[in-house]
Amino acid sequence: MGMNDLEDFRESVGESGPVAVVGGRTHWTVGGNPTDDTRLVSAPVGIDSFDPSEMTVSVKAGTTLKDLNEELSRYRQEVCLEGSSETTVGGALMIGTDGIRRNLIGSVRETLLQAEYVDAKGKLIKAGGPTVKNVTGYDLCRLLVGSLGTLGLVGRVILRTRPQSEKSVWLQGGLQPEEARHVCFQPSSLLWNGKETFIQLEGYGIDVDSEVLKLKNLGYEEMGTKCPISIPRFRHKFVNGMCLDGGIVDVYSSILYKSTEAAEPQHSNEVVRLGNKVRTMFDPSGRLNPGRDPYRAGP
Amino acid sequence: MNRSRQGDQLFRELCRDIGADRVHRDGASQLLYSRDGSAFPGGIPGVVCFPETTQHVVDCIKAANRHDRSFVPRGAGTGLAGGAVPCDAPLVISTTKMNSILEVNYEKRFAWVEPGVVNLDLTKSLTGTGFHFAPDPSSQQSCTIGGNVANNSGGPHCLAYGVTNAHILAIEVVLPDGTLVELGDVDGHASGYDLRGVFVGGEGTLGIATRIAVKLTPDPPEICTLLLDFMDVADAAKTVSAIIASGIVPAAIEMMDKRIVNVVEEFVKVGYPTDAAAVLIIEVDGLPKGVKIEVERIQSISLEHGARSVRVASSDEEREQIWKGRKSAFGAVAQIQPGYYLHDTVIPRTKLVEVLEAVYEIANRYELIVMNVFHAGDGNLHPLLVFDPQVPGIMERVLAAGEEIVQVSLDAGGVLSGEHGIGLEKKRFMEKLFSEEDLAAQKLLKDAFDPDGRANPFKVLPSGASCGEVNHLNQLPDGAWV
Amino acid sequence: MNTSLNLDKDHLTACISCGLCLPHCPTYQVTQDESRSPRGRISLMRGVENGLMPLSKEVVESMDTCVQCLGCETACPSGVQYGELIAQTREVLSDHRKVSFRLRVGLWILLHMRVLLVGSRVLAVLQRLRLVPTKALPVPSRIPLRGGRYVEHDDPEVILFTGCVMDVWLSQVHEAALSVLDSIGIRYMISGNQSGCCGALHSHAGFRSTAKNQALQVISALPTDLPILVDSAGCGAVLKEYGSLLGTQEAKFFSSRVYDIHEWLINDSKWQESLPPRRLGSRKVIVQDPCHLRHVQKAHGSVRELLTPFVDCLELDDEGLCCGAGGAFSVDQPELAKEIRDEKLKSIQRAGGHLVVSANPGCMIHLESAGVEILHPIQVVAEYIGGRDDHE
Repeated sequence: MGMNDLEDFRESVGESGPVAVVGGRTHWTVGGNPTDDTRLVSAPVGIDSFDPSEMTVSVKAGTTLKDLNEELSRYRQEVCLEGSSETTVGGALMIGTDGIRRNLIGSVRETLLQAEYVDAKGKLIKAGGPTVKNVTGYDLCRLLVGSLGTLGLVGRVILRTRPQSEKSVWLQGGLQPEEARHVCFQPSSLLWNGKETFIQLEGYGIDVDSEVLKLKNLGYEEMGTKCPISIPRFRHKFVNGMCLDGGIVDVYSSILYKSTEAAEPQHSNEVVRLGNKVRTMFDPSGRLNPGRDPYRAGP
Repeated sequence: MNRSRQGDQLFRELCRDIGADRVHRDGASQLLYSRDGSAFPGGIPGVVCFPETTQHVVDCIKAANRHDRSFVPRGAGTGLAGGAVPCDAPLVISTTKMNSILEVNYEKRFAWVEPGVVNLDLTKSLTGTGFHFAPDPSSQQSCTIGGNVANNSGGPHCLAYGVTNAHILAIEVVLPDGTLVELGDVDGHASGYDLRGVFVGGEGTLGIATRIAVKLTPDPPEICTLLLDFMDVADAAKTVSAIIASGIVPAAIEMMDKRIVNVVEEFVKVGYPTDAAAVLIIEVDGLPKGVKIEVERIQSISLEHGARSVRVASSDEEREQIWKGRKSAFGAVAQIQPGYYLHDTVIPRTKLVEVLEAVYEIANRYELIVMNVFHAGDGNLHPLLVFDPQVPGIMERVLAAGEEIVQVSLDAGGVLSGEHGIGLEKKRFMEKLFSEEDLAAQKLLKDAFDPDGRANPFKVLPSGASCGEVNHLNQLPDGAWV
Repeated sequence: MNTSLNLDKDHLTACISCGLCLPHCPTYQVTQDESRSPRGRISLMRGVENGLMPLSKEVVESMDTCVQCLGCETACPSGVQYGELIAQTREVLSDHRKVSFRLRVGLWILLHMRVLLVGSRVLAVLQRLRLVPTKALPVPSRIPLRGGRYVEHDDPEVILFTGCVMDVWLSQVHEAALSVLDSIGIRYMISGNQSGCCGALHSHAGFRSTAKNQALQVISALPTDLPILVDSAGCGAVLKEYGSLLGTQEAKFFSSRVYDIHEWLINDSKWQESLPPRRLGSRKVIVQDPCHLRHVQKAHGSVRELLTPFVDCLELDDEGLCCGAGGAFSVDQPELAKEIRDEKLKSIQRAGGHLVVSANPGCMIHLESAGVEILHPIQVVAEYIGGRDDHE
């Protein structure tokens, strides 16, 4: 069954003509829109296998994060992928941005263990491997994450999972980021709106409780399990001293979330040249997601 | 112009460009820089260079290009897959003299270092700051961060903290055409293709790192190290699978079998149980109460699975000694036999029991001694086949047994290498894991970085010409020189 | 030049080139060059033995630049006998290579106590007249004007080995050692001029036959069965090796009687009984282990044990890396010795820059000439137990 899905996907991608995969359309414009002549195909859907004691899951790219997380949470596990509930696994990987919990759960780039993708010639290629640790050959999985589907169209992946935290809680208080970052050991998130800081703590209940107490003594207030502020959607690079302009700063990763679109990021000519060389190598005719450019995407 | 006159010209230009005292081509240097920590008999280096600045590295690579020579980057030469063994008389570019820590930023938790900085020296220099560099390969007292980047090195604590790639934020690279480029950024959010991510683990075939921004990891408030012993290897393996299955990800889970325990105990004398069939070293860290919970769970899981005793390290000193034993294991095997050969396949953690059984069976069938010491928590095996290279016909047996071990691992759903890399040693197995098309896709990446194939040629991918005589291990390794 | 080094094959094959010795080698630490490392030197020895390498200038340099601190032996998990390998190699090389004039003269003087004595007196006078710069020569900055004056007992229980240069240049250390023995009522005699030089430096430099001659001389000069206490780690190490150097029963018996003075004291019942109930001072002292005490005799723990009742012992963070003195090394390889010493100075600074103690004259002289305030541990002990304060 699984193999057939992939084979069908491969055939739908075909060997020529501009093509892109459409998922939940939750991040459709990142890095530019595909050109009008681009044929849109869908990736296969479904969880192939989930072995909780191995902490890996094999899932097809068209599966939504909602469906995947539902299955994983039955065993109190999760994956480190960001997006709304309609975002697909493939979409989240191709966008490749990390969420605000990166400080605790790590980067999307470490989540993808193996990918089966259709290349520009219409062949099914396997990159990476199923185990949690692997240095066998070049790490094409790294290259695929954040590539906006310009190097290959992902059909099925194996992802690393992690145990869900026993307890998670948000606090809000008056410490400035420089002070707040040293109070607790490894908060999962630390946000700043220019006035107050918002701290998310995760872990064993008993540890979280004592950390909460520490923060309460510093005037922090407990805000429940949901993030108490809404995070705008556009990501800007934050530099100390920059005007927040109503945005929210992810302190650990220096990202400023704003409701206005960011200017195009700056890259050195050498980096862009090398990146484009990689793209040309993988897709000489430029048929995969034409019109999209990872170097135009935000941080 | 013949090759040697060409060589003279190259040598003169290198002396002019980076200074004569940084360029060696005497026989002694050539012998010493012809091998690494692996069992490979040496290749042949052309000229050995000791750059001290990024510009020196650029000059070396440009000189190599002018003379149509390849180059091989080299750190401390502790690699185990022949990744730094020079093939076809290339320039060997040793980065060991580029060993300064350039900048430490505690607020943003990164440090810029030169590639020759020794892994443990970085962590030592951070003592007391509340931070450390998390990747801790067993050779960490000797190996360089540049080498860690090239091999995407692991280590015991990578179970919870991730391998080197998760700890490298940005890299200044001299590409094989001599261009200088900075990949990634210190915030870890550079957009565009993750070229930094693929450079790590590129085994020096994509260019040379000249400055590296590493992530600093906060020291955990509480660390607890356990030493568990078992009368049956299978019980130890079952315990590992059960701990992972229970949803605990300890900082480290290491296994050593009886033979290894005996040689390391001879060296460190920390009181490892030498009569046990296997021991596990398990470390848990984090906030104190969570650590306590996990230690208790691990204790009860291991006792359920047949652990004879659980010893909790009572002091930092005891903890350090336990780790010193583990990290000296490879180096200690010469107590038994003067040669060793190993693979570092990774298998699913739920398959540990059956694969370990198969490994012992294979070694027995080939009448070889096997010593198992490995990162059990992530299923990364290190079966050390130890032997006396002077015994006639032994290499054939060792290689055949090695190949069977690889096959058993792959059959169990595993991969070829967890942390040592492919280098020269394992490229002949690449086709067991990847199709021709998969490998062609990997070659595209190599070609984008290095279209002329000058950076560390003959490594990683099986395609292309062979590396003279060092392509295979059928010769006697170094120990057999006498 | 093609020649065999006659090395033990088992010792040579025991190295598997893992590289764990690299950070413990002082010359690799300052050069980052394989040819200046134990692993590299062993590879070259193999190359020569196997006929792959001639005994080239570079090979000889590689062997010559070894300090022979044997930090690598301590670090080697496989127990490679590097010390044996390098000693044998140096012996073969001593026939082939040019030993520097400085070193030849130096080694010759050590064998001729009268020349050493007279020369040193002259030097001491010149120093006081400020006619020689303090740091120009590998000698203490203030050589005593007179030799040590020791009162021996008629019915000795132990012998203090006084050696050659130490007796002349650092006699205050011997005096301190004797005052410590006095304080607990141990009767002693000294080895004195008739035994003379122990031959450590000659053995080190590859002149093993000279070293053997000295061993015979020392053994015959001390025909008793009394314990022989040594307050120079370098001398102590070679005295303990006479047994294997000469291979005779007599030599083995001699070596079995040799103790580093710290090692002997902490195991002596009279010393243990005389210990103060609590620490006498809160002075901080940095312990610098001589390689011959730490890596060869492995008796460095005894220095701490002996000092602990009196002072606060601080450790260096370099895991016993050599200071660069290395017997005659600082004379033979002055540049390298200085670079190695610079690393040690940094480590001393990191430890707080307090008074340093080191139980070997070579290390004391080498570090003192870089401006380090340094004493022998026994001098510190002597101060506290009411002996003379020997520190000028």
